Amino acid sequence: MRILIIEDDELIGDGLQAGLSALGFACDWLRDGKQGLAGIGAAPYDAVVLDLGLPGMDGLAVLAAWRRSGRNEPVLLLTARDAVDDRIRGLDSGADDYLVKPFALGEVAARLRALVRRRGGHNTPLLQHGRVSFDPAARQATLDGAVVDLSARELALLELLLSNKGRVLRREQIEEKLYDWAHEVESNAIEVHVHHLRKKLGSDFIKTRRGIGYTLGDGA
Amino acid sequence: MSYSLRGTLIRSLLKVVTPLWLLACALLAFHAWHEVNELYEQQQALFARQLYGTLPTLGARSEPERPQVGDDDVDFMAVAAWNRHGQLLLVDSEGLQLDARPGYTGFASLRQHDEDWRVYYLSGEAGSVAVAQEMSERWEMIGGLLLTQGLLWLLLLPFALLALWWAVGRGLAPLAHIREQLQRRAPDDATPLPREVPSELHTLIDAMNDLIGRVAQTLQRERRFTADAAHELRSPLAAMRVQAEVAQLVQDPALRERALQQLMNGVDRSSHLLAQLLALSRVDAEQQHDEALDWPLLLQELGEAVSGLAASHHVTLRLPPAGHTQWPLQHGDRTLLLLMLRNLLDNAIRYGGGTVSLEADATRISVSDEGDGVPEALLDKVRERFYRPPGQQQTGSGLGLSIVERIAALHGLRLSLHNRDGGGLQAVLTRGHGT
Repeated sequence: MRILIIEDDELIGDGLQAGLSALGFACDWLRDGKQGLAGIGAAPYDAVVLDLGLPGMDGLAVLAAWRRSGRNEPVLLLTARDAVDDRIRGLDSGADDYLVKPFALGEVAARLRALVRRRGGHNTPLLQHGRVSFDPAARQATLDGAVVDLSARELALLELLLSNKGRVLRREQIEEKLYDWAHEVESNAIEVHVHHLRKKLGSDFIKTRRGIGYTLGDGA
Repeated sequence: MSYSLRGTLIRSLLKVVTPLWLLACALLAFHAWHEVNELYEQQQALFARQLYGTLPTLGARSEPERPQVGDDDVDFMAVAAWNRHGQLLLVDSEGLQLDARPGYTGFASLRQHDEDWRVYYLSGEAGSVAVAQEMSERWEMIGGLLLTQGLLWLLLLPFALLALWWAVGRGLAPLAHIREQLQRRAPDDATPLPREVPSELHTLIDAMNDLIGRVAQTLQRERRFTADAAHELRSPLAAMRVQAEVAQLVQDPALRERALQQLMNGVDRSSHLLAQLLALSRVDAEQQHDEALDWPLLLQELGEAVSGLAASHHVTLRLPPAGHTQWPLQHGDRTLLLLMLRNLLDNAIRYGGGTVSLEADATRISVSDEGDGVPEALLDKVRERFYRPPGQQQTGSGLGLSIVERIAALHGLRLSLHNRDGGGLQAVLTRGHGT
């Protein structure tokens, strides 16, 4: 899952990026409202963590501008003020959820997952396909109930495929979802991850549509 | 001292009106006495003239005639008549011994039987007559007049006092209304009190409204400050929490080390913020000292305080020589002034850089750096509390300049900021009034 963080506080932004990355998210971090306004279009983000008090342009103004221009990425607001008014204004401006500082990193991750899940139209926290199931919160995949040892990137790819059942994902799409700006994508990285997943979860788990991309197998 | 407006009014009224009334009574009595005397004496004279007219008809008798008056109402009168030989022709029943005073015409006073009498003698060819009247009759009349006057006063007084009581109560009723309003009022209510009170109380209401306004402003300022401070404390707390969680979460020792370092930065930032908040509240709360300033010592302490920071930021620090004597202030609170200059130097070192120099003459102190300066549009904003320019990498509370401004104001100095032509920011503290 690729997340955009817009937060002007160096320590919080840095911590969110490091922490969410460790929790399996691909994160990009912008420090300024105006950058954030344009930055949302730079990659296919699954969700945005938006601080309210931003220099350059206020978080609410950024959010309102996004919504006006038809951007509907789920947005989790971070606010240092727990005044009800702020929260109401935030939610009414188009935010999907909010957290008051100081917050727990785990809660940020859980809320982001919930936002993405709801946006994808599923309610169950477990993603399943055939004999494979994946728990996004625990970052754990099982095959016939037995835990499969997967790397963070492989888990991210699995999550992406499971969240897009029936859709064919292009290689560039997958790269954008799995890698943030801080990490260079090697040219055949996706092929390597797909190869590993097939080896661990069954060769027909992922199908290759030549010239187009990848999709889930029949799940037999 | 507490006193009742009603009581005061009533006392004043009694104090002023009673002597005036007494004076009026005295004047009345004096005037009435004069008039009554005149009236009665005219009557006596008239009566005497009529009596004298009857003298030829009163024959000489061996016994003077004692006409039976039979009417007690006139026992305050006495008459006597003598023929030209001085023989008593007529005397009234009172038995008053009126002396014959042949040839005398006019008034005389007489005391007999414990009574004062006023006697009018009229003498002529036919003889002489005397008409006497008891003085007490006149006194009674004056007494009656005064009694009426007194009774009137005593009757009127309770009504006057009641009317006064009522008028005062009516006049003060708006005050009771205002009291109720004040009792029900929320402490931070800034709405002014109504001016529907007697005009004499307008100045009081205006002054109270002025005070209410100022108190509300102060309260609002304090509240905003508290909210801002809490908000500012939340951010480093959130940062520390996140970094601590990251340290727990990551496996890579290098990443963990980095998160712990960030956590330490967060702790430093919070401590700095707290120190600045305390400094700011102390500037407002604490008694200021006004002492003669030992500038060489102050400079030395200042140098010691910031040299470490300067070294870690590779900044060259230039302070005036120890013997520098030209300073805009010779008196002040040295602790606060040290805090003020330290904040300015801190800012210049953290956010500016290059060579940071403090210069002073008799009217101003300036602190300049050779950094990038502050965008003109933000020059006013950076003075706001808790404001930090976007993208600022250096830690800071956003309170430094507020502290500087506050202390400067306490010492009659004014802070101005401008970008230097050669690059860098200059903060100038100028003495004087608005120049």
